Amino acid sequence: MSFARQALQVGLSSRIRLSPTLASAAIRSAVAQRRLLHSTRCAHASLPKDDTEHYTESLHSDMKLLHGRYQETPLYADLNSKEYVQKFKSGERALDKAVHLFFLTEIMRGMWIVIENFFRPPYTIMYPFEKGPLSPRFRGEHALRRYPSGEERCIACKLCEAICPAQAITIESEPRLDGSRRTTKYDIDMTKCIYCGFCQEACPVDAIVETQNQEFSTETREELLYNKEKLLANGDRAEAEIAANLHADHVYR
Amino acid sequence: MVSLHRTIRNMRRVGLREWWRQMQYIGDAKSGVLVGKDQFGNRYYENMNAEEEVPGRQRWVDFAQHEYHASQVPPEWHSWISHIRKDPPTNDSVIKNMTPPWQTPWVENLTGTRGAFKTYNTAAPKINAWEPKTISRGA
Repeated sequence: MSFARQALQVGLSSRIRLSPTLASAAIRSAVAQRRLLHSTRCAHASLPKDDTEHYTESLHSDMKLLHGRYQETPLYADLNSKEYVQKFKSGERALDKAVHLFFLTEIMRGMWIVIENFFRPPYTIMYPFEKGPLSPRFRGEHALRRYPSGEERCIACKLCEAICPAQAITIESEPRLDGSRRTTKYDIDMTKCIYCGFCQEACPVDAIVETQNQEFSTETREELLYNKEKLLANGDRAEAEIAANLHADHVYR
Repeated sequence: MVSLHRTIRNMRRVGLREWWRQMQYIGDAKSGVLVGKDQFGNRYYENMNAEEEVPGRQRWVDFAQHEYHASQVPPEWHSWISHIRKDPPTNDSVIKNMTPPWQTPWVENLTGTRGAFKTYNTAAPKINAWEPKTISRGA
């Protein structure tokens, strides 16, 4: 309404009046200040806060009536009462208000926001050349790790298989020739996986981890049915990154 | 178009040839410090000046291949470009100490090519066809 229109004029005129007189640095700072401030203001700010108590007074719950804390008044105030109508006798007509609000100043204020953002630098990140920040705890593609000696970590305890809420993991185990128990089958259906990270939380030897790789989308569904060799190969390639992330995170665990 | 001032400034810094290359790939004139180069020839740049780059656009990669793909970045540099690690892997002591001797070279996502991963069973089959064994009668 009139309030918003005034604000708009002030914003424009101050910029115009400043520009020929002051030094260039002052103009730039003033323009920047103007840009950083949002020109839209809350419409409710112009309304006076006079008799809000009046409304809340007539609204009680039945429970309080039951206990007799208030006198019995109707739950809703009579909308046709004299003092209620009196509040709307003065001031702008509803039609004028609607015209100002919806047709004129709304459009101008909207266009002003468009103009403001047109002159601001965009926040678009040019993927894949630039990438947004990721956490060291980011949960992406799975990998099976090895000990620094090269021995695979997984001991086929099947805790990850048990905890997996999507039941995406399938494990079969057999004793190896030297007597240690290892998996013969460690399959993860990546189309079932919901990337909750419970498997790496459950793992007692840090064997199954989720790496930070999120660019493993495939053209066919079959490529996402990972087996043990694929998971071990993932771990062999990304071991430095996985170990560095665990090292960065170990103080919080 | 980000802004004319920024485009001209960065073009004067990096030169016309590099600017033309940037416009073909990144689509924006950027200037920064060459931080390093990985084993595939991708070059990594950084410009931490807050007045020149908005947050999230401070680190970028110039891919060596024309057929570029996000998965061509190896994991060590991926953790640098995703702002997981502060220092580039060339002088990050943690990454250097954690790299085992058996680490295998990074392979980009080969889906859609003949190198795509094709799954197979790693366990011995549990159901086998009947192989009849005949015992010759004593003669």
